[in-house]
Amino acid sequence: MTKPTMGPALAAAVALVLAGTAGADTIKVGVVAPFSGPFAMYGKQFKDAIDVYVAEHGTKAGDHEVQFIYKDTGGPNPDTAKSVTQELLVKDGVNYLAGYTFTPNALAVAPLVDQAQVPTVIFNAATSIITTKSPYFVRTSFTTPQVAGPLADWAIAQGIKTVVTSVTDYGPGIDAEKGFVKEFEAKGGKIVDSIRMPIATSDFSPFMQRIKAAAPNALFTFIPAGPPAFAFVKSYSDNGLSAAGVQFLGTGDLDEETTLQGLGDAALGIHTSFPYSVAHESAMNTQFKADLAKVDPGAVANFASVGAYDGTEALYRMIAAGGTDGDAGLKAVLGASWESPRGPVSIDPKTHHITENMYIRVVAKDDKGQLINKEIETIKDVPDLGLVSK
Amino acid sequence: MRSLVPFVVMLVVAVAAFYLFPYNLAFLTRVVITMILVLSLDLILGVAGVSTLGQAAMYGSGAYAAGLFAIHVWHDPLAGLAVGAAAGAVVAFVSGLFLTRAHGLTLLMLTIAVTEVLQEIANKFSAITGGTDGLGGIRMGRVLGIWKFDFVGRTGYIYAVCVLFVVVVVLKIVIGSPFGLALRGIGDSPARMRAIGTPVTRRLIAAYTLSGAVAGLAGAMAAQSTALVSLGVYDFQLSAEAMIMLILGGTGRLWGALIGTAVFMTVHQVASSVDPFNWLFVIGLLVLAVVYAVPRGLLGLPDEVKRLLRRLK
Repeated sequence: MTKPTMGPALAAAVALVLAGTAGADTIKVGVVAPFSGPFAMYGKQFKDAIDVYVAEHGTKAGDHEVQFIYKDTGGPNPDTAKSVTQELLVKDGVNYLAGYTFTPNALAVAPLVDQAQVPTVIFNAATSIITTKSPYFVRTSFTTPQVAGPLADWAIAQGIKTVVTSVTDYGPGIDAEKGFVKEFEAKGGKIVDSIRMPIATSDFSPFMQRIKAAAPNALFTFIPAGPPAFAFVKSYSDNGLSAAGVQFLGTGDLDEETTLQGLGDAALGIHTSFPYSVAHESAMNTQFKADLAKVDPGAVANFASVGAYDGTEALYRMIAAGGTDGDAGLKAVLGASWESPRGPVSIDPKTHHITENMYIRVVAKDDKGQLINKEIETIKDVPDLGLVSK
Repeated sequence: MRSLVPFVVMLVVAVAAFYLFPYNLAFLTRVVITMILVLSLDLILGVAGVSTLGQAAMYGSGAYAAGLFAIHVWHDPLAGLAVGAAAGAVVAFVSGLFLTRAHGLTLLMLTIAVTEVLQEIANKFSAITGGTDGLGGIRMGRVLGIWKFDFVGRTGYIYAVCVLFVVVVVLKIVIGSPFGLALRGIGDSPARMRAIGTPVTRRLIAAYTLSGAVAGLAGAMAAQSTALVSLGVYDFQLSAEAMIMLILGGTGRLWGALIGTAVFMTVHQVASSVDPFNWLFVIGLLVLAVVYAVPRGLLGLPDEVKRLLRRLK
């Protein structure tokens, strides 16, 4: 193929890119996330968290000015994710990438990130394999097995011997089921029945009847937050499972804080495990919530907020240490540890994934009558169990 | 000779875009791929008058077929396109056997249902398709064994434009043929066509199969350029947006599909990079404006203006 003759537009663009990377020493970070459509919550939480971090730490990381460029992917849309990422790399000349809510989106950019050698901080996407797809990936969220495994341990410790699993029939649900079952059976527990519920289901009574008939000590569930979780929890209470002595165990996805109040009183007493509860008691978290209220009054923090907040911490550390040199930056963050609003965290240099505490929480009411996830037990320094076990 | 003019314009625009926006080739490639999808819809909706919201069924099947073919059999891009087109054709033929017997709202619902069923199948067989995580690990070979897919996306763009050209030429020939005229007749009045002895259902199945092959081709190209196939290829939104782009450009004449796609996606791209948070507003306004001001699409704009001028005289 012949080399294209450089038009004036191209020359101007090249000049811009050069000015961006070498001249004024502004380090650009591309943030790829859903900012429109049904998943826009993620984009908003990411941006709020970045704004909070910048408000607290300034726009400079070390000697370098940091600039964020936002790109919208809509939803799980690898075509868009890949092309906007490519544009960020070749047109905007970003030195770091961040965001990525959905697994396919993160997987689609792995070859690009690899080729461009640009460190990329995954703020959310929660399938274990992602960080194995490129050495330039670092993840600051959690993986589903990381959440489900400790819950199984805790259940055993509570004397729960039999469980029915009931998960939504798609990738994350199946990951959660596998993570829980493996750990629970390894510790001597018995899985009585495993139910996979279709994604579009809104009537959960038949499943609840089936669980009730099996009469286990507890049910374990993974179900996406929002209307499906509302209906599931309501159905659990309406069908008298809690009265029949079937405990409710789940991953914290279903009662994350932006939709928590929608669960209503039916949710009181259910147990979930997750890396972050807004009700986490620490000075750092109180500060984080106060700063968030200043940046975006009325905003509610959740797991996506801390994923992005710690992701920004990782970005700042990389930029301060490496500047435009991504490899040097990456080296600085691998093995690093810091205090996060969710508790102490560190980046595992082997898996490039965050090691963090898992909390067993119970849904309770605070003194204002609002539902909260009250932490009752801490499992310290949990790595990504999905990768460790492989 | 006059009929060649649009082709020349198309070529000039494609080449100009290549040199003017060397850093947006990934986006431009997506536009070209979407054009192929919208063209497939124009054949069945614009020409034959079959209202469908299920074009994603064939697009998605083409994408998965091409992806699986590249991973398990052969990484040659052109062979992958053939496989994708074949998969689209098969899905269209089988579903067309019953779809072409339905009309109106029933037909719309059925086309959506076919797509949803396929999406659920892809989700269920996650061992093969990768399920929600997507089908990754697609590595493409060189085009014709010569040109490598490069980082900036030059090869991908030129490759896509060439395929688009072939598709437009083939569809032009089809539409101009007696078969195409029969389709147009069916689009205007199926009852009359039946009365003059045209086997309406059979013609429609043939048209739907051809349309499916083209949609499958588009899906295969998407799979090759993204190197990952997700369940999103079966999204309802894809079919709906394809229809909006077609209506925006103007139905039934192929060029409308190209113009509509280019305008819609450019507005989408510009609006979403200027304001990644509220850009959907702009898209909404655009669609409203077109439906009210130029109901026959942008292609009908010159006629609308002429009529307006005549009225002023």
